Amino acid sequence: MGPKSVRVRMYQVGFGDCFLLTFTYHGKAKPRHVLVDFGSTAAPSGDPGSLLPKIAQDIQRTVGTDPFAVVATHRHRDHISGFDPGSNGKGPGAIIAALKPRWVIQPWTEQPDLPVDAEAPSSLKGLAARKETLASMQAIAKQAVEEALPRLQRGFQHTEAARQLAFIGEDNIANPGAVRNLMRMGSNDYVYAGKRTKLSSFLPGVKVSVLGPPTVKQHASIRKQRSGDPDEFWSLQAKTLGVGLPKTGASAGELFAGFAQATGGQSPPWARWIIKSLRSARGDELLQLIRSLDSAMNNTSVILLFEFGGHRFLFPGDAQIENWEYALGQAKYKKLLKGVTVYKVGHHGSLNATPRTLWNGWYPKGAKPLPAKQRMTSFMSTKAGKHGSAAKGTEVPRTTLVTALEGWTRLHSTQHLAGALYVEELFGGA
Amino acid sequence: MPRRAPRRSAPVSKINLAPVRGESAPLRSLTILAQDPSVRRRRKILTTTAQVMAEPLMDGPCGARIKVVDYDASRDRLYLPMKGGYQQGDAWLDPFKQQSTPTLLGNPHFHQQNVYTIAMRTLGHFESALGRRANYGFGGHQLHIAPHAFAGANAYYQRENRCLSFGYFPGRGGQPVFTCLSHDVVAHEMTHALLDGLRPRYIDPSSPDQGGFHEGFADVVALLSVLSDAAIVGSVLTEQGLVRAKRTLVSPAQLTLDALKQSALLGLAEQVGASIPNGSASALRRSVTMKPSPRWLHDPEFEEPHRRGEILVAAVMNAFLAVWVARIQGLGPVLRGQYDGQRVVEEGVTAAQHLLTMCIRALDYAPSTDLQYVDYLSALLTADKETVPDDTKYRYRDVVRKTFGAWGIQPISRPESDGCWEPFGEQVSYRNLRFEALRANTDEAFRFLWENFTALRLARDAYTVVQAVRPIARVAPDGLIVRETVVDYLQILTVRGHELGALGLKRPEAIPTSREVRLYGGGVLVFDEFGRLKFSIGNNVANTRRQQARLDYLAREGFFEYRSDAEFSRGFFARLHLARARDRWAPGG
Repeated sequence: MGPKSVRVRMYQVGFGDCFLLTFTYHGKAKPRHVLVDFGSTAAPSGDPGSLLPKIAQDIQRTVGTDPFAVVATHRHRDHISGFDPGSNGKGPGAIIAALKPRWVIQPWTEQPDLPVDAEAPSSLKGLAARKETLASMQAIAKQAVEEALPRLQRGFQHTEAARQLAFIGEDNIANPGAVRNLMRMGSNDYVYAGKRTKLSSFLPGVKVSVLGPPTVKQHASIRKQRSGDPDEFWSLQAKTLGVGLPKTGASAGELFAGFAQATGGQSPPWARWIIKSLRSARGDELLQLIRSLDSAMNNTSVILLFEFGGHRFLFPGDAQIENWEYALGQAKYKKLLKGVTVYKVGHHGSLNATPRTLWNGWYPKGAKPLPAKQRMTSFMSTKAGKHGSAAKGTEVPRTTLVTALEGWTRLHSTQHLAGALYVEELFGGA
Repeated sequence: MPRRAPRRSAPVSKINLAPVRGESAPLRSLTILAQDPSVRRRRKILTTTAQVMAEPLMDGPCGARIKVVDYDASRDRLYLPMKGGYQQGDAWLDPFKQQSTPTLLGNPHFHQQNVYTIAMRTLGHFESALGRRANYGFGGHQLHIAPHAFAGANAYYQRENRCLSFGYFPGRGGQPVFTCLSHDVVAHEMTHALLDGLRPRYIDPSSPDQGGFHEGFADVVALLSVLSDAAIVGSVLTEQGLVRAKRTLVSPAQLTLDALKQSALLGLAEQVGASIPNGSASALRRSVTMKPSPRWLHDPEFEEPHRRGEILVAAVMNAFLAVWVARIQGLGPVLRGQYDGQRVVEEGVTAAQHLLTMCIRALDYAPSTDLQYVDYLSALLTADKETVPDDTKYRYRDVVRKTFGAWGIQPISRPESDGCWEPFGEQVSYRNLRFEALRANTDEAFRFLWENFTALRLARDAYTVVQAVRPIARVAPDGLIVRETVVDYLQILTVRGHELGALGLKRPEAIPTSREVRLYGGGVLVFDEFGRLKFSIGNNVANTRRQQARLDYLAREGFFEYRSDAEFSRGFFARLHLARARDRWAPGG
């Protein structure tokens, strides 16, 4: 028998995601809880250090000894930093681990040690390369932040580039504590588009579909153009940036020891204009690389659709267009998506994480907004001014999307929370 | 009669009858690396001396057109230049002549010299082909070059920074690989800068061909300039076993088109691009391995700029081979049916030099906006015919038409005859014009446009501007000088999405009705030495077929996600080269 109701609770984590879904069943059956992501890279206000433990304690109080599962959609800090148990083992991740999740759902790209050989499912071939890619990407992010940030911050004219590089770069830096904890806190279920997830049996009466991320093979099938091998690209970038190499040769502090040199600050007048320009160009280049890397990482996001009692809850993590392409290209998924009633707004409200095809499926041309009670409910966890730039039309949340969400859906936004720890809504069965 | 006071000699400075420094020697020699430094013969790298314009050099080296500033943004280090060392009295010096391999590779001053010299040599190729000074696209006179600008396997030209930046990265064993030491990489980047000066609108978003042209053309110039060096061609053929030091006879079987393709072109690809990922060498490699076919132009994969550029490289490099073979056959065997190896090399160099000149010269006859390969082919044929009317000996133009045709590229003009542009046949007015002024003054050239708006079929609603007036003097092979004046003009029509229908264009869904869209048109007017209009070559802003194709392509490629053309153009080359690196780093991959 299906659940009586489900409560969606969106915690105020600033820039990040933390959703607790509580499925209540008839009779004496215990409620079942699914925590979808737990991370933040910019707290709403006050002391960011105490925010995540406070939320973890609230989750602990809510879940108690009930059956519990965790979904970590992808490995960006703003989605998993709360799973870090901390160096003393008393951090928020330790509190979550103590709730003993039965299942930890993650994208297939997180699966450790799957041999890439004839025994592996053919759809998962290329895993080793993809895993190496993730490691390379995180190492590049670290390198970029360490190399460019101090210099960009020194120049007043580069403040915006420095801010973005710091924010996006740090979100992409590896968070080994959280990753290890997720690997160990429960049984793991690594999913990809079309795979039957363990959440289906964990949530009786709820149909759970995995719509993303696509595997290498699935993704290749939808690409009309060969855009090269992304795994090779990131490995090459890491290699050429000197990531992970011992500090010798090109990665050492000095390229030409013994030859006269000066720092930029000590440079003679004839070199100053171009030095300033070269610094700025380098910052732009790294920012571009980091942005591209950030999108690639977002596209490993798990996309989940929960169905019960006439409701369809869509949780797409930070999936961007390349991740969505596969699901939106499949007739059966496209049909399912048309009937979404509750939408966790993708990627904190960035424009290209809510694809036009998805939106048009909900609100085709000529449609009119429904009365408030019949509208889709949307949840947006975000913090303005942290990602992108309004001047370039890349701000997160994107103003045009927020306007559309406000006009067509019943929008819950963490930006509307004044000091509250969370906002929640209860959805009853049919 | 008063006695005149004896005249005292005026205190003038002593007149020096000796030539001014450099006057007697317009060229100087400087050592550069001939091949990728990872390619060694008897543990030595191959160097060559390049002839470049002799000019007073400040420390850097810094000359009238190139200023090397060796700043490394990744390490915040300025590698200070050598103090002096390039001239002594009236003598030009080559400070790194016959230096050892470790000295050259480990000395930043040699790296600085290497980029200066190759950039100057490429500039020399352009100026000699164009018959005038080549300008940059940023308004200044000196292009900065940073030979160790950052850690990373990339190199690029940036108009906004007036700079070529070269990266470095750890190679095998962690030893640094310096992109500034690769002849083809430096020539490639310098070509971007020079092409941008000549045709600034070619980095505008337009079509797959225009996107690919900058990259393909830079590869073509880089490769042909490498092949214009006898030391490099000789070395490649030696490595391939065709030419040996003591036995310089080559059998005819080694000199067929297929044999030279394998030995010379693939050999060159190995030697110039051994350690640089996806440089010109990989385009060269693909030009040999890809089977010519018109289908590539319609393959979505070849809509990506760097892949599209490979088609241009393939067409030109195959033309080079065909001409080289024809020239070798013209030599005839010298002994027992065998050919003189040294002459084989010389013929290759001559063929490369001629094609290089043709390719650069063609730019003056190419439309200033929305270039497509079919336009460039007509430009190539016209440019050569204007300077070399008699092409019966080696038939360069026939060969070029054939090799471009194999890739599905036919000249847009007169495809049934010579493929050249149609001479301008309509009556034009020269009222209120002074030819002397027209040869130098953009306002005078605009006056000509104004007087002939109708005859030239210009759009009246569009913003119109003359971008440049270029007087040229080219030396034909027979020694005669061909003088022309080329006027570049541009038309921009700015409309909103909802106005496209009124122009006969269908608005792609990606263009909101309120979005401002810029439509470009423009061209070149070529005047003969008497001031008569010879050619009017261009793309009309009102050409609905071209404009529709452009809008559809830009919508498909997501261009309208950029807020303006300027935003798209910023960082264009860094992005282009990053995308190139995203492709496989494997031979023929």
